[in-house]
Amino acid sequence: MESPVGSLTQETISLEQVDDVRIVRFVDDKISDAAQVEKLGRELLALSESCDAPRIVIDFSNVKFFSSLAINKLIVLEKRVRAKGGKIRLSELAPALREVFGFSQLDRLFTIHDLRTDAIQELAKTSKE
Amino acid sequence: MSFSTPWNLDETFASEPDGANTLTRRILDQLESMGWSEQDVFGVHLALEEALMNAIKHGNRRDPSKKVHLMVELSDTRFVATVTDEGCGFDPEKVPDPTLEENLSKTSGRGISLMRLFMDDLQFNSCGNAVQMSKTRQSS
Repeated sequence: MESPVGSLTQETISLEQVDDVRIVRFVDDKISDAAQVEKLGRELLALSESCDAPRIVIDFSNVKFFSSLAINKLIVLEKRVRAKGGKIRLSELAPALREVFGFSQLDRLFTIHDLRTDAIQELAKTSKE
Repeated sequence: MSFSTPWNLDETFASEPDGANTLTRRILDQLESMGWSEQDVFGVHLALEEALMNAIKHGNRRDPSKKVHLMVELSDTRFVATVTDEGCGFDPEKVPDPTLEENLSKTSGRGISLMRLFMDDLQFNSCGNAVQMSKTRQSS
């Protein structure tokens, strides 16, 4: 039977797993189109529901544009994950996108790592505590 | 150094995201063909998208019978866009500050501040149903 993780690949996001940390990457380098953003929101919510206390690293390394509508989907995901006792870390943001998060003070809502390896390491560490 | 011919756009479209997406793509393609940097294109993309989606969603309340008017003047060094909707307008001064602690988790209200971040100038008309934004190209 296909796992929930496997069933989400080939959509707007792809998933990897390191220990119990799930790593999200975006299939497209520009997340902008309204229909695409709605689909992204559904996939992220499915991810948040796929396990208890999810630990999720979002890897932006291939993302050139991420609309504020898409950022809203991340905010919804963060609320769901936090409500379930899980954690989210963002990583590998391009300078312009990092500026958006900083200027909007969203770096107070999300912990942002320069490197995805650091983000994974931190969440893997907290899951063992 | 060679200069490109200034490029103008003057279009009206129904209040649906597809119309906004198509025009945004045309403008971004033009910026890229004129050699604007990835950073500048990112800023224009974000600000323009915010203005167009605000016009569709908040201005025209997604009513497809209402139109959005977009005018763009683009040169090698300067981008100017005006977005006008058919709504009742709003007072931009009354939009809550999205960076306050109590507003951080809200999924709306960031558009105007993001437009200000990436544009050099942002002006609303007196009733608030038209916004003009401008940006001078950063030297690369």
